[in-house]
Amino acid sequence: MTTLPTRRDEAWRYADIDAVARLWPLAAPERINVAAGDTAARHLIVDAAQGATEIRQFAINLDKGAKFDFHVLALGGAYGRIELDVILHEGADFNLGGVILGNDDQILEIVTTVNHVEPGATSRQTIRAVMADKATGTYLGKVAVARGAQHTDSVQSFKAMLLGRAATANAKPELEIYADDVKCAHGAAIGELDAMGLFYLESRGLTPADAKRLMLQAFVAGVFDGAEAEEELQAAALAKLGELV
Amino acid sequence: MEFLSKDQLVKMLNINNLHTAIGDKEILKGLSLKINAGEIHAIMGPNGAGKSTLTYTLGGRPGYEVTSGAVEFDGQDLLTLAPHERAAAGLFLGFQYPVEIPGVSNVQFLREALNAQRKLRGEAPLSGGEFLKVARAQADAMGMNMDMLKRPVNVGFSGGEKKRNEMVQMGILDPKLAILDETDSGLDIDALRVVGEGINRVMRKPDKAVLLITHYQRLLDYVQPDFVHVLAAGRIVKSGGPELALELEREGYAEIAA
Amino acid sequence: MTNIADTKNAEALAAANKVSDYEWGFSSDIEQEFAPKGLSEDTVRFISAKKNEPEWMLDWRLKAYRYWLTMETPHWAKLNIPPIDYQDAYYYAAPKAKKQLGSLDEVDPEILRVYEKLGIPLEEQKMLAGVEGARKVAVDAVFDSVSVATTFRKELEEAGVIFRSISEAIREYPEQVKKWLGKVVPMHDNYFAALNCAVFSDGTFVYIPEGVRCPMELSTYFRINAENTGQFERTLIVADKGSYVSYLEGCTAPMRDENQLHAAVVELVILDDAEIKYSTVQNWYPGDAEGKGGIYNFVTKRALCQGKNSKVSWTQVETGSAVTWKYPSCVLNGENSVGEFYSVAVTNNHQQADTGTKMIHNGKNSRSTIVSKGISAGKSNGTYRGLVKVAANADGVRNFTQCDSLLLGDQCGAHTVPYIEVKNPTAQIEHEATTSKISDDQLFYAMQRGLDQESAVALIVNGFAKEVLQQLPMEFAVEAQKLLGISLEGSVG
Repeated sequence: MTTLPTRRDEAWRYADIDAVARLWPLAAPERINVAAGDTAARHLIVDAAQGATEIRQFAINLDKGAKFDFHVLALGGAYGRIELDVILHEGADFNLGGVILGNDDQILEIVTTVNHVEPGATSRQTIRAVMADKATGTYLGKVAVARGAQHTDSVQSFKAMLLGRAATANAKPELEIYADDVKCAHGAAIGELDAMGLFYLESRGLTPADAKRLMLQAFVAGVFDGAEAEEELQAAALAKLGELV
Repeated sequence: MEFLSKDQLVKMLNINNLHTAIGDKEILKGLSLKINAGEIHAIMGPNGAGKSTLTYTLGGRPGYEVTSGAVEFDGQDLLTLAPHERAAAGLFLGFQYPVEIPGVSNVQFLREALNAQRKLRGEAPLSGGEFLKVARAQADAMGMNMDMLKRPVNVGFSGGEKKRNEMVQMGILDPKLAILDETDSGLDIDALRVVGEGINRVMRKPDKAVLLITHYQRLLDYVQPDFVHVLAAGRIVKSGGPELALELEREGYAEIAA
Repeated sequence: MTNIADTKNAEALAAANKVSDYEWGFSSDIEQEFAPKGLSEDTVRFISAKKNEPEWMLDWRLKAYRYWLTMETPHWAKLNIPPIDYQDAYYYAAPKAKKQLGSLDEVDPEILRVYEKLGIPLEEQKMLAGVEGARKVAVDAVFDSVSVATTFRKELEEAGVIFRSISEAIREYPEQVKKWLGKVVPMHDNYFAALNCAVFSDGTFVYIPEGVRCPMELSTYFRINAENTGQFERTLIVADKGSYVSYLEGCTAPMRDENQLHAAVVELVILDDAEIKYSTVQNWYPGDAEGKGGIYNFVTKRALCQGKNSKVSWTQVETGSAVTWKYPSCVLNGENSVGEFYSVAVTNNHQQADTGTKMIHNGKNSRSTIVSKGISAGKSNGTYRGLVKVAANADGVRNFTQCDSLLLGDQCGAHTVPYIEVKNPTAQIEHEATTSKISDDQLFYAMQRGLDQESAVALIVNGFAKEVLQQLPMEFAVEAQKLLGISLEGSVG
């Protein structure tokens, strides 16, 4: 993208354009290439200083049969954006686990385009967001299946919890499909913590805050299971969750 | 622990003229009940009588609004306490439908719960090792595999396993008063015996009490109540000894409650 | 004018004679009167004058026209449309004015024949023929742009229901119309809505008074009949407190070689405790197998659930048109208001459909359900595009969305673009989507039991769409089921 995006660009619809403008022009996206048959993993914590902006863009290519696990955690900065453009060749496997934890006025986004350009590739995106105060958490995910990319198997799952009266969650789990023999599922759910679950925990003696924290912990915990640097991600997420409750 | 004779009765729970509404609808309409330490009471009643409402009101579930009346538990005003404070005070609810909490293991949950209760009571927290010892003992006693205790709370458990898990939790948390809502529902005869024995083992003690809330008499074959009450249309309409349960079974609620 | 009309009629007749493989592709020989080709303030004035409109209406149209000049065609839909030359179309065509009709007997027999060819359900044919004891469905027939006949007006009047062409309503009930026209879909809402405001030729106005359950289902049949004539229908339905109405809309269009523009606006207003059920079966000419011809269908439909406990239910079966751009939406302002959207959209050959809904939750405890079933075949593209939005003050909102796509063949496309924007922590929003094809096993199983391939496909597709079809009134459901089968003929094998 050579010109500053506006909110009319669907991928920037919920962005903090002023913050983007301050960083404009953006550096070229970081390139990740996983060679045929290779396996790679990566993790990223977007934890810009208070008031700062951080935009991380990746152009990821998975050659035939390559496998790539990416785990991301967005929790710092006034505006944080993680953007992935992924190309999957035949039989490649891409897994994204993302967690967005925001409070105050934070605007945090995960924006993905996963292109299944050849047959038999799989992709799985699991995003969980917990937003407190006046924070905004956004997941814009697009899975594009090219003509002929048969036997594509893709899943997008986005779930968000709002803790504050002024918090916002946005989602767009988009599918663009040009092949008929594919499995493409997406699900999105936005809500508050299950009241019955909270009561159950409290009836066993947990304070309301602890019950909430425990439920939220469980809500995001699974995303980082088996991740590279799992402990680092879990610890950072836990610390931020403590702030949110 | 001192044995108390009949004239030294220690009051455990005193419900006086309790009215509870859900939204605009009044469900409990002046329910009164006294339970002393060492006693096991059973409340029986037809569907819609208000049995679950009584359970949830005593547990403090949001949405169950007490419009009038008073409940004293172990010398405290129960109704002013938050749900977790009621738990710390020694009140345990056995849920009719134990809630599934994906992602939270039983062990983590119960240790946090037990230590939160201990903290409120001014007791030192149990270490991981100490807790596991207690948990293992209780799981063993209920014939529950420790692997199940490590699994997420109630997730993927059968109906019987969920009820058994409630009993393990009761054993670990060691309450003063257990209110068990339809604990027998969904249990086959073997599970019923295990659950009944669990209740007796953990709760049949001079300083504890149990309120069994049930539709059927069959759990009472295993847990002999001292008193049986009939709940109908939001109030206790009849009280008696164990024979009342048999009478209800024989005659039906319509006859007795009329 | 007359000369143009004559020329056009001659052309229309010639075209009609060429018709072969589109069942309903015929042109009727009815005297037409045309506005000058092209769009200008003069066109707007011509239309308004033709309809004997009051001055406020003309002012309103002109204002919309001036808005329209400043606007741009929306570009965000997944549609590939050649530029439309708005100066190369006629904006008004009416059967020549005849005296006010007292009964159906006086309707031009040519029009009645058109109905017959259209396959208007037997029950309604009986109604049109005045058969005693037939189930009551009132038909306000929109033939091209002007309503020519209205049945059951009297019985409706006894119930206090106003069921009129919008032109009549503007003259007879100006206050009622003025109060709501453009309030649900403002004239500057979008390009096509602005265009409609400027040049709408006719349409329907319905008012259901407080506490009245409309004694019959209301039905309007739209036909596009004149070559190169855009169809700009305008519908306004107001359900007053505690009232109920079920409105049926069905469409077919004759065969044409040139693309035809259609930009309708439908506004629904629902007050306290009232309910509107709006059902549509749309099978306008989709173009030929090579993608030539077919209707361009740009429709703005929106319901304003203004009152508490108000409810609207949109059900649509979209099988026709070369291009569909249509998002029947619900603005749920009332406390406990309910919005529903049930949709089946079939595209085949070179059809393109970008359709869906918006559920705007402003009212506390408002609830919405979206069930969208997209079926793509041939070289077509179908897109579900939706928005579920929960305002910060709207506590207790619930939404459930189910979006399923079925692909027949590997040359089509099925797309899903669901936006979710939630600003209230007590909302519960759930969205699920699946994509599937008809499996060889399913086909074989059905065929082994004796169905031919096309029947098997129709059967499976109808099963896929069942949840939506069963929302339709009975006679529509039958028609819709047939349509699904017809639309997909030749798409498999």
